[in-house]
Amino acid sequence: MSNMDNKIVTLPEIATIEEIKEEIQDVKTFYIKFDNPEVQKNFKWKSGQIVMLTIFGAGEAAFSLPGAPENDRFHLSIKRVGKVTSALFELEPGDKVGIRGPFGNGFPFAEFKGKNLIYVAGGIGLIPLRSSIVHALQHREDFGRIIVLLGARTPNDLMYQNNIEEWLKIPGFECYVTVDQATADWKGETGFVHTLLDKANVPVDNTMAFVCGPPIMFNSVIGELMKRGLREDNILSTLERHMKCGIGKCQHCAIGRTLVCTDGPVYTYKQIKTLGEEI
Amino acid sequence: MYLIEKNNVMKLAEELAKSYDLYGPVIDNETKQVFFNKVESASEISLTAEIPALPPKTVVFPQIERITQYKYDKVGKKAEIAMTYDDRSKAIFGIRPCDLTGIIVLDRFFLGQEFVDDVYKEHRKRMFIVSNTCVVPFKQCFCVCTDSGPAADEGYDLNLTEIGDMYLVETGSEKGKAFAEKMGLKPAGDEYIALKKKVIDKSISLFEKVATDNKAWISRIMNRVTTGFIKDEVWKHIGNQCFECGACSFVCPTCSCFNIEDHNRFDGSTDRLREWDSCSFEGYTKMAGDHNPRHPVEDRRNKRFFCKLSYSQSKKYLRPGCVGCGRCQWVCPGDIGLPNVVTYIRREITE
Ligand SMILES: Cc1cc2nc3c(=O)[nH]c(=O)nc-3n(C[C@H](O)[C@H](O)[C@H](O)COP(=O)(O)OP(=O)(O)OC[C@H]3O[C@@H](n4cnc5c(N)ncnc54)[C@H](O)[C@@H]3O)c2cc1C
Ligand code: SF4
Ligand code: SF4
Ligand code: FES
Repeated sequence: MSNMDNKIVTLPEIATIEEIKEEIQDVKTFYIKFDNPEVQKNFKWKSGQIVMLTIFGAGEAAFSLPGAPENDRFHLSIKRVGKVTSALFELEPGDKVGIRGPFGNGFPFAEFKGKNLIYVAGGIGLIPLRSSIVHALQHREDFGRIIVLLGARTPNDLMYQNNIEEWLKIPGFECYVTVDQATADWKGETGFVHTLLDKANVPVDNTMAFVCGPPIMFNSVIGELMKRGLREDNILSTLERHMKCGIGKCQHCAIGRTLVCTDGPVYTYKQIKTLGEEI
Repeated sequence: MYLIEKNNVMKLAEELAKSYDLYGPVIDNETKQVFFNKVESASEISLTAEIPALPPKTVVFPQIERITQYKYDKVGKKAEIAMTYDDRSKAIFGIRPCDLTGIIVLDRFFLGQEFVDDVYKEHRKRMFIVSNTCVVPFKQCFCVCTDSGPAADEGYDLNLTEIGDMYLVETGSEKGKAFAEKMGLKPAGDEYIALKKKVIDKSISLFEKVATDNKAWISRIMNRVTTGFIKDEVWKHIGNQCFECGACSFVCPTCSCFNIEDHNRFDGSTDRLREWDSCSFEGYTKMAGDHNPRHPVEDRRNKRFFCKLSYSQSKKYLRPGCVGCGRCQWVCPGDIGLPNVVTYIRREITE
């Protein structure tokens, strides 16, 4: 189903922050509802898409949609890094923001049917993958193994801990976590996230891998996956670039011949390799 | 086709000025530089002026413009936001074929992709365009290499061609036709088709002698640029000469990269501004944590020329992105305007 006609393209729609949840240090999740009920009703997105969020008085920036497309609440998980995000962190429930979107291609879910899905995320790389994970779990019978491998700097840097506990109750969901530096009460793994690939005994045939995280983690995970025989076009990631317009006009998000806002943000590793730029 | 005497041609502009904001090439009294400006009176416009320093893209894509205005009352939790479109009716009088082709390229890019750019669309909606055939080329021109001159064949409401002591007036739209009728212009006989062709052939023949600054046989290198079969050294050589000043993008009739910034005003409202940007600036693709994926300057140069000279980009424009105006060659302190880049690439091909 295409929601092309209900995209908010030019003028941001006003929305209210309903609830704010602390996730980890400097990352919060904001639950948002459009003021216009018609807009709220028609606002649909695909896993992997993004919105442009306006913080009044500060500016606009791009954020992934972590909610599952079918029945999740509209929310954004955001790390404080600069002008717009710091202004957002000053806001409270009841404050207004502006939203445009959803933009981008999203994950081609129809192609994943019957396959094993491996999600590998480092730190807040789990944000753009959350939507897809929840969606896959909601349609558990459509897929083979569903494996989530998470890496974080410390146990306190693990995104969506409550969610993960919920997901673990779903039969056949496999999740492995590792941290770079353990805390005193940490009983789990330590080490970099690619070490979990063996632990999970990841499949390579009939398998799609989703990899999101800092460049160094990204490269080592991809290297390990390919060493095990996973094909370049079965590895997916979402790319981040500076975005200004979200609709393919400003060219800020251009990488080689592709625009992240309209052609991306989801690319196969095969595509990423031909873009001729760093991750 | 219609005719108007040379000394009456500005009457067309005067009539347009009654219902449109009028823009055209103006020669600055003191500096003798040519700018494409908004004029108070049609008499300020010169149809014989050289091509303007900045292209008329400024009329449809201003260097800086407010696109949205909003106000947020944090205490009352009340937000108001609205687009601030430029909804004036604008007539551009005397645009040269290369620059008109520039506007056609911008039209295809802003209006013809997956999304329509509403801000640009509003600029274009109520426009009247009068183009002006170049009966002699200027020194920097190479439109004959880029198929964008010396005469326009689309995109205008009226097209003027100086023939002897008359201007041939061609209509390119219903709006143009209605205007010509309203002005009571005299119909031109069929002999003017041949007369116009003669004028254009003469103009083309003058390129060899007059337009000596630049040549750029872009068709010869488009394939190379598209497939990427150009040695890194060539891009490096080009990149090394670039000062990253952005001038080339600013003067180019088809460069359209922009930035968006919110500007807070004293009255508590905010203007969302969109302003020209350039892919040659280092900050263009900078991201969080000072991570800049497009590092070396040659990559950024590569990007601009890819944008102008590749088949893949031409698909968006339905033609090459360069319209042969020569402005970038004119302003570039590193002497790597597009014509020179084409030469570097060609030289590598023949070697
Ligand atoms: C497709 C996509 C999905 C994203 N998803 C999320 C998400 O789900 N959660 C999240 O927290 N962040 C996400 N981001 C990153 C987010 O857009 C930036 O963190 C945000 O723009 C920073 O804005 P700022 O004004 O707070 O920072 P600024 O004050 O503008 O800058 C702080 C630093 O961030 C850099 N920066 C500025 N704008 C951007 C930008 N648009 N993209 C990347 N870097 C930028 C600056 O160069 C500077 O180094 C995503 C970005 C993209 C492109
Ligand atoms: S690339 Fe240079 S010569 Fe070509 S249209 Fe742009 S400014 Fe003119
Ligand atoms: S005008 Fe020349 S020096 Fe300036 S950015 Fe363009 S190519 Fe580089
Ligand atoms: S964000 Fe403007 S072109 Fe992609």
